[in-house]
Amino acid sequence: MKRLLRMAHPIHLVVGPTIWGLWFVAIYAGLSVACSVAPPTPEQGMLTGINIAVGLATLATTVLLLGLSWAGVTAARRAGLHRECYFAFTSAGVYLFSAGATLFIGYPVVFLPPCI
Amino acid sequence: MSDTKDATLTPGIRRLHEGMARVWANPAGLGALTVVNHTSVGLRFMVTGAVFFLIGGLLAMLIRTQLAFPDNDFMSHETYNQVFSMHGTVMMFLFAIPILEGVAIYMIPKMIGARDLVCPRLSAFGYFCYLFGGIILTSSLVLEMAPSSGWFMYTPLSSGDYSPGRGSDFWLLGITFVEISALSAGVELVVSILRTRTEGMALHKMPLFAWYILAMALMIVVGFPPLILGSILLELERAAGMPFFDVAGGGDPVLWAHLFWLFGHPEVYIIFLPGAGIVSTLLPVFARRPIVGYGWVVAAIVIMGFISFGLWVHHMFTLGIPQLALAFFSAASMLVAIPTGIQIFVWLSTLWLGRPVMSLPMLWIVGFLVIFVLGGLTGVMLALVPFNWQVHDTHFVVAHMHYVLVGGMLFPLMAGLYYWLPLVSGRMPSERLGKWSFWLIFLGFNVTFLIMHWTGLLGMRRRVFTYDSAMGWDIYNLISSVGGFMMSAGVALLILDIALHFRFGRKAPQNPWNADTLEWAMPKPPTPYNFVSLPRLETRHPLWDDPELPRTITEGQHGLNTIDHGRRETWGSDALTGKLREVVHLPTNSWWPFFAALSLAVVCICLLVRLYPLAGVATLVAAVFLLRWSWENGAHPKAAPDATVAPGQPPLHSRTMNGPGVWTMSVAHLANGSFYLSLLFGWFYLWTVAPEWQMPETSPLSLPLLAGAGLALTLGSAWLAKMVRRLRRHNDSGLGGGMYLAAGLGALQSALLGLAIWQAGLAPSETAHDATLLVALAYVLIHALLGALLCLLQGLRVGYGFVGAEAPLEPVVVLRLWYYNLVVYWSLFVAVWVMPTLLGGAS
Amino acid sequence: MDAAGPAAQDQFWVWWAMLTVSLIVAAVVFVLWLFTFRRREQPQRTAREERRIMLRWVLGGGVALPVASIIALLVFAAPTGRGMLPLPLAEGEAERIEVVGHQWWWEVRYPGANGERDVVTANRLVMPAGEPVDFRLTSADVIHAFWIPRLGGKRDMVPGRHSTVRLEAESSGVFGAQCAEYCGAQHTHMLLHVEALERDEFEAWLAERRSPHQLRDGFDEAQEAFGEHCAACHTVDGFPEELIVDDMSHDIEGPDLSDIGSRPTLGAGVLPMEEGAIAYWLQHHQTLKPGNRMPPHNHIDTETLEDIGAWLETLEP
Repeated sequence: MKRLLRMAHPIHLVVGPTIWGLWFVAIYAGLSVACSVAPPTPEQGMLTGINIAVGLATLATTVLLLGLSWAGVTAARRAGLHRECYFAFTSAGVYLFSAGATLFIGYPVVFLPPCI
Repeated sequence: MSDTKDATLTPGIRRLHEGMARVWANPAGLGALTVVNHTSVGLRFMVTGAVFFLIGGLLAMLIRTQLAFPDNDFMSHETYNQVFSMHGTVMMFLFAIPILEGVAIYMIPKMIGARDLVCPRLSAFGYFCYLFGGIILTSSLVLEMAPSSGWFMYTPLSSGDYSPGRGSDFWLLGITFVEISALSAGVELVVSILRTRTEGMALHKMPLFAWYILAMALMIVVGFPPLILGSILLELERAAGMPFFDVAGGGDPVLWAHLFWLFGHPEVYIIFLPGAGIVSTLLPVFARRPIVGYGWVVAAIVIMGFISFGLWVHHMFTLGIPQLALAFFSAASMLVAIPTGIQIFVWLSTLWLGRPVMSLPMLWIVGFLVIFVLGGLTGVMLALVPFNWQVHDTHFVVAHMHYVLVGGMLFPLMAGLYYWLPLVSGRMPSERLGKWSFWLIFLGFNVTFLIMHWTGLLGMRRRVFTYDSAMGWDIYNLISSVGGFMMSAGVALLILDIALHFRFGRKAPQNPWNADTLEWAMPKPPTPYNFVSLPRLETRHPLWDDPELPRTITEGQHGLNTIDHGRRETWGSDALTGKLREVVHLPTNSWWPFFAALSLAVVCICLLVRLYPLAGVATLVAAVFLLRWSWENGAHPKAAPDATVAPGQPPLHSRTMNGPGVWTMSVAHLANGSFYLSLLFGWFYLWTVAPEWQMPETSPLSLPLLAGAGLALTLGSAWLAKMVRRLRRHNDSGLGGGMYLAAGLGALQSALLGLAIWQAGLAPSETAHDATLLVALAYVLIHALLGALLCLLQGLRVGYGFVGAEAPLEPVVVLRLWYYNLVVYWSLFVAVWVMPTLLGGAS
Repeated sequence: MDAAGPAAQDQFWVWWAMLTVSLIVAAVVFVLWLFTFRRREQPQRTAREERRIMLRWVLGGGVALPVASIIALLVFAAPTGRGMLPLPLAEGEAERIEVVGHQWWWEVRYPGANGERDVVTANRLVMPAGEPVDFRLTSADVIHAFWIPRLGGKRDMVPGRHSTVRLEAESSGVFGAQCAEYCGAQHTHMLLHVEALERDEFEAWLAERRSPHQLRDGFDEAQEAFGEHCAACHTVDGFPEELIVDDMSHDIEGPDLSDIGSRPTLGAGVLPMEEGAIAYWLQHHQTLKPGNRMPPHNHIDTETLEDIGAWLETLEP
């Protein structure tokens, strides 16, 4: 198991998008449930609890993924084997993309009200 | 075989070749139904897929004939609706996916230096499922009972009330059958790529094509189960009146749309990735330099694989889902432009830095680029919600998706066809005819579909069987139709070219394109065992770094070069490093896959004509065949009774604790888990969203019975785990009895669960709540029975001496199933008992 | 492409902007690709130089270009859809019209405020021009989609759910509308005639229909036949209840016929309305629009059908 935690393991190629996927499912499901249980009135515009919660989840996930991406870059620099360097660096790229994707997809909370 | 008969071979080597040919022989005549070899099965997939392509193409021509003129009465609305529904269905399910699987099944072992896929009988089974499913589905056209609710089968249009005929049943049963085939190919491709690469081929040294296929196979494994679930639910609704998609009964038609597109969007990438894989394989060969940015491509593949699962709602932008949720999916859809852009510019810089030469395969790749880039750009436009609202369900979308699918899949496939043709036939295709057919198809395609964007913007809807001349669309439609017929002429020419080349093609040299990958080191046409000896490789470009490989392989200078044991063998290697771990012995030709698929076809037909008792009998027969198939494994006399290997070789995989079988089970559970999660999604979706959902105040299920069943399962798993731990220490005393005990606990679990279901007195045809609950409980019940049955068989096998301290693999595999059952059972318990009890009845 | 409302107008501009950018991108990519085949000489490069060139291409073309384009799309183009959402208006409320999809016709309802009667019509939609209108959509059977191409985007009509879409016609006029989601056999012939009227004309049009109907005299036989053959599915406002013979054999809902004489088309856009058209439709509807839900009238003699047709033509507010 310890092996899997090292950034040079190829599992990290898929961890980033998996975190992204979990976040994505969480905000989509959370939004749908929140809208069917307690929809805010349209007059509130964008300043609703739902938008704020989604926004915060987005920022937290982005920061987490950016941190992991940075960890990948550091690991790649320190890696001894070509293989380790290769996987750490590629994973760092995928983490970076996942971070960007999270931010990008979460962005519409600033201009759209939640449940309409 | 011509190459292997070289006079240079010593008598010893010649004996080796003859021995290999004997052990790997494909029987002729009726025995051809027993063939399991990947080369033959892959070829069968491709040829069958090509036949379905022609059928689908014919349907397309009918559509274009009908739409060529306004108010045309060439076809009635009924026929037209059947024709366009079947065109989509045939092209997507019976052509695109299977033919790409065929390419992967055929090429992957050859590229990674293996002799066969890891589960050859599964390949054969998959093929027969595909063949029978395809025949059942297309027979509906001949019977004039074809599905007419579109290839996407939206409920309630496709459900009993609005489609009372048999059309929808043909679709649901036929497609589910075909999907079994896709899943089995998906599972074994994943495991083969990860675990049977030749010695030294580390993960980051394998050909890019293998990465693409790995991603495709994993996506099939995760992406197909939602549709299988959806099809089962809809068929249950049609046959037994369970109202999953019926608002009045507490269901929701939008659930179908979710399940369909959860599959349907990844499917587009499942089709595109192998196409891109072909491009990434061919392009460096014709650029005459290694691809630049291998890591970039791998990252792009991974990203595409994941992102494609976050896009499904973009087919449902107009369904009235909250705009903010749509915006998430819209943004995710736009993001796909990045991995696509990366790949296109990696290819460009490879060409830029190389010394590219034009040739027939390269011409198709240029065609791919033009069409696919245009399709990709309109794709980004469609990702934009407000624009999508305007053009959704118009001919603009028809044009877009043909650009993506034909550009992303058909053109690379044709490039691959011309590229690998010499490998299959040993002869070179004709440049001149090939160019003619390329230009006809390329121009015909653009004439048809470029103008169609405009027709769509003018407001022409999809799926209309005619239109009024006053709309002013006449000329555009006529142009599209002319283009369509041009394209057909090109396809006809292409078939002619391929047919003629078998007779008149010039003989191909060993490596006609001066390619770098391993398949060109094989004899031409290929032998069933691919390589008589398996080389150690530590490079991404084996043939560029060592042009002598074809000779040294044929001379048997590399690994696994003995055959006197009479086994079909290939290497089992470490997923990451490619270090050797075991010798995988593969099963030989067998009737069981054919019989199992045949009895499943009987099940399918019985369900279609609603002969349910007979369907039940046929299901049992199929189960017996499948279990009999699994019996001939490990130390069984027909598999590998003798475990001796040559000195210095790793042990046989059935004599280890972590053979590819464990991996196969895990990947299969990935698919199974995806099915289960889709079911849970359905449960929670209906609970929270369905307008008329009714849930009883207290759960109808008895807590003591549920808890008792769970306890039996938990105890059984713990007991099984203990026995596996002892096996790991080489201790098999009491193994047989222990297996029977586990089987008993499994049976107890099934009995208690069955009792709980019976006692609950569910009314599945009344409310969607009861129907969903019943399906979920039936799912765990089937798994409980399977767990018990497999343990029972393991007990028997211990008695026969097929399983024990010397052959410990199978209990490890069965334990995986029990662990899976454990997770599923308790999580379902939380979902259907704990949560409703805590949250109360009302929705 | 001939936009007549703000929602469609926005998308018109979005489309031309996207098209222009796309064409430039596509052209540059194609030219670059083909150019690589033209070069014969290739300078000697070290691995490091090659890597730098590759990075420049991939970062520039493969990452920066798409990132810039999609950010532009998300920030500038995605919010254009907000106009179609039923957000609260700065002042007043938008007119509300309910549209229900049926296989294969449209039911249009104008809900009455404070105790007024609903106005119900079919296959014809009249809306006020120059102001936003909220369409509340649902379906009685399968999924349909409501689409007035020249006014804006489409929205699906899902059984069991209601969704609202806001559209505006800039000035009065006649627009075609159609079902855009494939809904079965006669999906093709599910058209809706949309008219935008100035506010006062719209009010007048509505008021005519709000007041109770007076049936014309002199059509007794036709009314009797209608009560026997048609009234189980079709409603006519003010029709004497004692004439309705409901044999309960149909559970289909047919279009409300109260103002059929004033409608511009028959059969959801199959025939233009003119004298004798209804009688013709009644005799040949299964050839004109095969598969439609109205049973064939072979058992009714032509004369009766002509009578019914003539009477129905008089039904105007």
